Order: sequence, then structure tokens, then C-alpha cells
Amino acid sequence: MLNNFIFIVLPYAALALIIFVTPYRYFSNRLTWSAYSTQFLERKTLFWGINPWHYGIIPVLAAHFLGVIFPGPMKAFLGNERNLVIFESVGLALGLFAVFGCLALTLRRVNTPLLKQVTFASDWVLLYLLLAQSLTGVYVATFMRWGSQWYLHTAVPYLWSLLTFNPQIEYVTDFPMVFKLHAAGAFVIVALLPFTKLVHMLYVPFDFLKDPPILYRWRSK
Amino acid sequence: MNVRAQLVMVFNLDKCIGCHTCSISCKNIWTDRKGAEYMWWNNVETKPGVGYPKKWENQDIFKGGWIRENGKLRLRAMGKGPTLFNMFFQPNMPKLDDYYEPFDFDYSNLYKAPPGSDQPVAEAFSQISGERMEEITGGPNWDDDLSGSQVYAVEDSNLEDRTLVEDYGRMFMHYLPRICNHCLNPACVASCPSRALYKRGEDGVVLVDQDVCKGWRFCTSACPYKKVYFNWQSGKAEKCIFCFPRTETGQCNACAHSCVGRIRHVGVLLYDADRVEEALLKPDDQLVAAHRQVILDPRDPQVRESARANGVTDQWLEAAEKSPVYALIKEFGVALPLHPEFRTMPMAYYIPSLSPVISSGADLHELAIHGTIPLLEKLRAPISFLASLLSGGNHQIIAESLQKLIALRVFKRAGSLGQPVLESTLKEAGLDLAGADKLYRLFTIGGYRERNVIPTQQREDLDSYQRKGASGFGILKKTRGPK
Ligand code: HEM
Ligand code: SF4
Ligand code: SF4
Repeated sequence: MLNNFIFIVLPYAALALIIFVTPYRYFSNRLTWSAYSTQFLERKTLFWGINPWHYGIIPVLAAHFLGVIFPGPMKAFLGNERNLVIFESVGLALGLFAVFGCLALTLRRVNTPLLKQVTFASDWVLLYLLLAQSLTGVYVATFMRWGSQWYLHTAVPYLWSLLTFNPQIEYVTDFPMVFKLHAAGAFVIVALLPFTKLVHMLYVPFDFLKDPPILYRWRSK
Repeated sequence: MNVRAQLVMVFNLDKCIGCHTCSISCKNIWTDRKGAEYMWWNNVETKPGVGYPKKWENQDIFKGGWIRENGKLRLRAMGKGPTLFNMFFQPNMPKLDDYYEPFDFDYSNLYKAPPGSDQPVAEAFSQISGERMEEITGGPNWDDDLSGSQVYAVEDSNLEDRTLVEDYGRMFMHYLPRICNHCLNPACVASCPSRALYKRGEDGVVLVDQDVCKGWRFCTSACPYKKVYFNWQSGKAEKCIFCFPRTETGQCNACAHSCVGRIRHVGVLLYDADRVEEALLKPDDQLVAAHRQVILDPRDPQVRESARANGVTDQWLEAAEKSPVYALIKEFGVALPLHPEFRTMPMAYYIPSLSPVISSGADLHELAIHGTIPLLEKLRAPISFLASLLSGGNHQIIAESLQKLIALRVFKRAGSLGQPVLESTLKEAGLDLAGADKLYRLFTIGGYRERNVIPTQQREDLDSYQRKGASGFGILKKTRGPK
């Protein structure tokens, strides 16, 4: 029952929301598409929160995606024991870095009176959820060794089965509770993404790298 | 040649009385709302002073504008690669304290307070947190009229001799009203990775597209004049829009329209977009000359032809011919760019201030010799100060401009007092009779339509039937189907 909910209902709900709500928001209300930076009001703690958080979470997230997109090459790469140890150690360090950052970001919202005006329920939900998510992630990385290896043989085929609309949850149902929490957390975050400021991560600009510096807009052209 | 049109404002600093009317009219129209309380798209500061935000001119702190490197221009703060790695935290962004915590007063206490032996007061509260403020410690013009000069004015980075502000006999000040300069090489536009900022092709106004802005905040640091502001409520950048809804219909900007001192002139310049970068590669003290070279003569047939090819209409060409700003900037060379060495090629120009005219009481005998209007060397504001502000350190350029202003005064004073007028006074300063008359009119009796020549937009471009049905809607957006 719980397994079906976590591994079938949640992911499909999340997928539906991100696929339909995100473009809807993009086309109907782009004015709210912002990272809602709070640096203007508080910058000292932000520095120690926002940098560790992003420099930690972005590579870790990217590694999750790499496993899903290129399972073959990843298996080959991690088959080498030395690679595996380095990969896992770096991953764990980045995870801890992210936890530290997220903790700083959360405490900062608690401790800075000026930030009250720009802190809404969604900010608390996101920060606590992401904190919990990075904590369960670090726990799995520490106590369920060689996760990057078994992830490729369990979670990845399961995720592919979801994408092909033939969910095979046997791959993941036997895992301990923390793992299930980590998976459920991920799906909830994806589901919330289009409704919150997390949309900011979907729009990373690269075009400007090749553009000339000054942009003109003409009414007539 | 790639001729484009630009709307430009000129400020005559001699006439600014520091009344802040301009700031108030701007605020009432554009920034009187949540998240924008602290923004003053138009602000007026006292020079010498630290300005708003504090020390904005000091690029060691804020790293705004451009620098030359290996024969090319690049943003002082960072290149494109580092931009990607500084998206999370913006190292050079000014913070709230660099501006001030916006406040208002709780007037309801004046009638709500319980009876007591003291007069009730309207207490100050923060417009951000809503909490009561014990003490107000800053404002947008905190060092107005040299108040606290030992703390603020001495910090002015244009001041060579800091003891000046301590010596009543030698002290000087003038006001400096500032808006976004709608630069020809805007650092704000170049810095935005989302490409939300753009320069309008038709009139050069620099705008932030609120739909495209994602709040990465590079523009707030890249603008060396600190004229892009971060709205803490909406999470996006905002800036002066040159009142484009007004100028498009031929009206003056709100600040210029309301200006009590009538110090402002608005008009059209034609410039060669292909020569902007090359001009900005010149050394600091040649930048004013380089500006003047980029600005083209609207009567030159070749310029006109090239402008037409870029879609500049006849009405705009006519306005460019009559342009008061062209006269002040290029023809007479009296109006100078603010900090040209920031290399954004700012399109707001300033006529340096002459006053006060006497250096000190001890110099009174000088008046007997030279008349009421003093010699250039006797002016109280040091030329080096004005040069640091308006000419990239070039004293000669400041002297030339001031010389003309002095000659004009001497000449006109003699004329109106019925004294013998000497045309040679004008000649020595590089003016002639017709020129003197034109300047005199612009500075004094010229009316609204003489001081400002603003051609309208849109209606010439659009078919009138379409305009009738579509005015007011998204003129910037293309519609589908045939025109
Ligand atoms: C992909 C590139 C990304 C960029 C450029 C980016 C940029 C930013 C920026 C500019 C802020 C505002 C910081 C401030 O307050 O000044 C921010 C906040 C935040 N970002 Fe990102 N981000 C990215 C990816 C992510 C990812 C992958 C996550 C999480 C899965 C994430 C989670 C957050 C959260 C939770 C906040 C809010 C922090 C707070 O509430 O104080 N971001 N991000
Ligand atoms: S003054 Fe600043 S905001 Fe205005 S165009 Fe120039 S660089 Fe951009
Ligand atoms: S309204 Fe005119 S005179 Fe008054 S402060 Fe502004 S620019 Fe100066």
C-alpha cells in the first residue's frame, strides 16, 4: 500500500504537475519567475548558506541525473574500485556541504527580523523539506555504502520503468525506510517545484555567453 | 556609419536649487509601492558628498562599469564565465544599508494618542519591517547641504584636498541631480545573463523586461551609477524608464517637467553606433572629446541619409536639428558627461556650476578690478573637482566650458546695464553673438518647447487604423500575421 503510494502515485502525480503546471506558469505569470533573492536585506549569513548549498546540491543532483541518463557508462566508470571510492567520498563531502548550507539558510530566516517580510509559508516548507532531503541523502550515503553503484542497478531501472509506463516497483520495495523517505521527498519536491520559487533552477541562462554585450530591441524589426 | 537616435537630458548645475521636487514627482509616479520604497530613480545629492547609495562613485567597492584590457572593453566586475559562478551570491551588490532603511511616520498617533501632558508625535516606522524605528540613521539625501561634512563630504572621491570641507572660507558645494543615463554602452545591459535589460533601438531608452528578469542581480552591481535597483518584494530589477510613456507622446519626463529651477533640457542626439566602442578605448582625459565625435551633426546630409536608413523618421530628424541638447553638448561644448571614465558613455550631460562666485571676503578688492563676475581661476569649486566629476580628469575641458559661461554672463550683464558690450569677451571664450543669444535663451527665457524638444513616437510608425484599435497594448511585441 505504502509502497504503491510512494513509488507509483507520488511520482506520476509529480510528473504530471511539473509537465503541465510549469509551462502554464511560464506563459501566464512570468512575473513570479524569480529566485526571490534576499541578499539585499541580509548578506552576511547568506554568503555562508547560499554558496555551500548550491555548490553542494547542484553536483549531487547532476550525479543522480547522470545515473539515469547514462547508466551504462556510469556502471563501467564505477566498476573501478578507485573511481568508486573517490566518487562516493566527493559525493558525501558535497552532501555535507549542502546540509551545512541549508542549515545556515534556515537559521538565517529564523534569526533575521528583516527577512520576515519576504518569508512565506512556501519558504519554510521548501527549506525544511530540502534540509530533510539532504539529511536522508547523507544518511543513505554514509550507512548504505556504495550507493552510487547499487543506485544504478535498482533505482535507475525503476525510474526507467516509470518513464515507460510499466512501473516495476520490485526494484525498490525491499529498501529500508530512510531510502523510501528519500525517494518520497524527491517526488514531493518535484511536485512542489512549479508552484514555488524553485522554478528558478529551470532557467539557467547560457545564451548570453555567445551574445554581443549590448542588446537592442526595435519596435519595427 | 550606423546612425541612431537617442533621447538625452542635460542638467544645468548652476540653476539647481536642490529642492528635490524632481525626486518627489518621480517617486509619486513610479516608485511609490511595495519593494520600491527605497528607490529614487531620480535623486539629488550634494557635492562634495557620498551620494546615494553611499560612495557609489567608488568602483573599488562596487566594481561597476567597464575597463580597458588588451585593447578591448570588459566589465570591471567579471567576465562571462565567472558570471555563471556568481549567480548564487552577488559579490558587489549594494545592500540596504548602502542606501538607507526606508521609513514613514505613523500619523495616526497624532489623533489616537491618549490624553497626556506631552504633545503626541508621529513616530517613525520602517517601510520594510513595519517595526517602529528608534532612530533614523540614513536617508536618500542624508548629507544634504554639506550636513555632517566631516563624515560625509570628506569621503567624496572627487575631492583632492580634503581640508577644503573643514575651511568655511574655502568651502563650496553644488547639487547633482541624477537619473539613469541611458548609456550608449550600458554595463547593466551587458551584465545581465538572462538578457532582460535592453536598449530600445528607436530612442535609446534602457529598460528591464520584468518578464525576462529572473532576479540574478548582476545589473545592480554592474551599473557604475547605481541606477538599477533590486525590488525586495518582487525579486526583480527595476530602473528609471526615462518616463517613456510620457516622452512617446511628446511630453517631458516627470522630473524635467516639474523641475523648479528649470535646469533640465531634453532632446534628441544622433550618434554613430559603430564608433562607440572605439571611442571608449581612448584614455580617460580624451573621453569627452571622444563622446563629441560619436555625436553627429543632424544637418549633415550623409548623417541624415544614414539615419533614415535606420528608420529615423523625418519628425525625429527635425527634432534633432532643433535639439537643445545637441547645442549644449556638441555645438557649444558646455555640457559634459558624468564620470565618462566609467566608460558606459552616459547620455545625461551636466553644465558645470559657476557659483559661488567669490572665494572669500578677503577677495573683495578683486571685484573692484574684475567686476562682479570673477575670473575663472578665482572660482571656488576647484577645477580638479569638476574635472574628476565631468571630464575624466581633463582640466582644459572644464575650463573651456566655464570660460564660455563666464563670458556669457559678463556680456549679458553689460548689455542689460547699458554698459558697453565687448564682443571680444565672447570671442575669447569661443562664442559669437548668435551663439550667445541662443545660450542665453536656453538658460533663461526659453519656454518649455524651446528647452525641450521631444518628438513623438508610435503614431508615425503605425497605420492609424491599427493604432486606433490597439493603442495602449504591447507596442514592443510583434503581432502575428501581416502588418
Ligand atoms: C541551477 C542553477 C541555480 C541557480 C543559478 C540558483 C540561484 C539561486 C539564487 C540566486 C537564489 C537566491 C539567493 C538569495 O537569496 O540571494 C537561490 C535560492 C535558492 N535556491 Fe537556487 N539556484 C540554482 C539551483 C538550485 C537547485 C538545484 C536547488 C535545489 C534543489 C536550489 C534551491 C534553492 C533554494 C531552496 C533557495 C532559497 C534559499 C533561501 O530560502 O534562503 N537552487 N538560488
Ligand atoms: S546609468 Fe546604469 S542603469 Fe542606466 S543605462 Fe547606464 S549602466 Fe544602465
Ligand atoms: S527639481 Fe530641478 S531644481 Fe529642484 S532639485 Fe530637482 S533638478 Fe534641482
